[in-house]
Amino acid sequence: MMASAKTWLERIRKLPLPEKIRIMNVCGGHERSISAAGIRGALPPQIELIPGPGCPVCICPEEDVYEAIHLALEEDVILVTFGDMLRVPVNVSRRDVRSLEQARAAGADIRPIASPTEAAAIARDNPERAVVFFAAGFETTMAPVAAMLCEGAPENLFMLLSGRLTWPAVAMLLDSGEPGFDALIAPGHVATVMGPEEWSFVVEQHGLPAAVAGFTSESLLAAMYSVLRQYIEDRRFLDNCYPEVVREDGNPAARARLEQAFDVGDANWRGIGTIPGSGFALKPWLAQRDSVTAFGHHGGEERKRAGQMPKGCDCAKVVLGKIYPNQCRIYGLACTPRTPVGPCMVSDEGACRIWWSNGIRNRDVA
Amino acid sequence: MCLAIPMQILEVDGFNARCEAKGVEREVSLFMLQDQTVEPGEFVMVHVGYAIQKVSAEDARSSWELFDQMLAAEDA
Ligand code: SF4
Repeated sequence: MMASAKTWLERIRKLPLPEKIRIMNVCGGHERSISAAGIRGALPPQIELIPGPGCPVCICPEEDVYEAIHLALEEDVILVTFGDMLRVPVNVSRRDVRSLEQARAAGADIRPIASPTEAAAIARDNPERAVVFFAAGFETTMAPVAAMLCEGAPENLFMLLSGRLTWPAVAMLLDSGEPGFDALIAPGHVATVMGPEEWSFVVEQHGLPAAVAGFTSESLLAAMYSVLRQYIEDRRFLDNCYPEVVREDGNPAARARLEQAFDVGDANWRGIGTIPGSGFALKPWLAQRDSVTAFGHHGGEERKRAGQMPKGCDCAKVVLGKIYPNQCRIYGLACTPRTPVGPCMVSDEGACRIWWSNGIRNRDVA
Repeated sequence: MCLAIPMQILEVDGFNARCEAKGVEREVSLFMLQDQTVEPGEFVMVHVGYAIQKVSAEDARSSWELFDQMLAAEDA
């Protein structure tokens, strides 16, 4: 039986804490739990909790969103995508179509879905039409996408794939020499699929404390207690504070589907640039499902460049944990969930959106 | 987007299961749990319509409390 949140907080308060310690999380779900439960405010002031690269919608390359918009507008296709993607803005003038939502209003057949099985079902129900599944997500989401493809999808289903792996972004931060954090809370549902071992490089190569956490306050606080103790006692190891779901080897059947459907290669992250070995791509046996092979490019290719966050938007820094959301110059001013400027204010997993939804209205208090 | 919610299995038909959480029923794919046995009454963590792991009844309950709390905080 796991100790209560209160017990974990008391244990944390009793620790001989250093003057300052920064713990990064890399999962939008963690950030939502932390914000909703008010964990930041309950912890001793020496502990900083930094939201890091935990939102696949936020880092989905601008050129991919642009490509999806124009594919849907210019070809006779049904474009399906997870609901979070609909409002993500691209950097074009206000007179042009700036999001999939606007493309839909302009007449494109764009349908939000909640599961890859829906993409296959829509293709099955519309055999005379081409259906393009624009899929962004991290490992947890890409495994179901892979499963759907491996199970045998209808031939009129095509893929515009923007799947990413989480750990290479953390590796990039650590390799930069200025990671901006002293300990890591690893994402529970990514580890459910991939297994916790994926994160051992944080400990073994970089000597930082790390713990896999679930999404309850108890599990998150247990993980924080673990990394704090590791830090103080100078005894680093990869802890698993979500053992009830994260098995030692993850979910091998899910990983097998990922391997069957996708290769892993270098990939662009919006506003950040190319991160080695961080992107999923269709395996050759699925090449005929590639939307670019089937329909050609629709302008996305020409837009490839790093740093393509909207003007004035600090999402790239927010995603990398370099600043807090409310340190962005336009947080709550030009940018709110009603009028999102950057992707971090659109997605439920975006740090800006999470902070705003949890009532943080003042700018730059950190 | 990586959140998974616990659901209880009502019925299994090959790789498909009818599952329930808080009175809402959904079709869930068991394709990624094919090397485990999954039976009615058991609980699974579901992400985008796919079961990604089995959980105990007790752990399922504690994550539901979490979701209620999270949604309430964000509505406020
Ligand atoms: S507040 Fe808006 S513009 Fe600023 S970083 Fe967040 S999403 Fe980007």
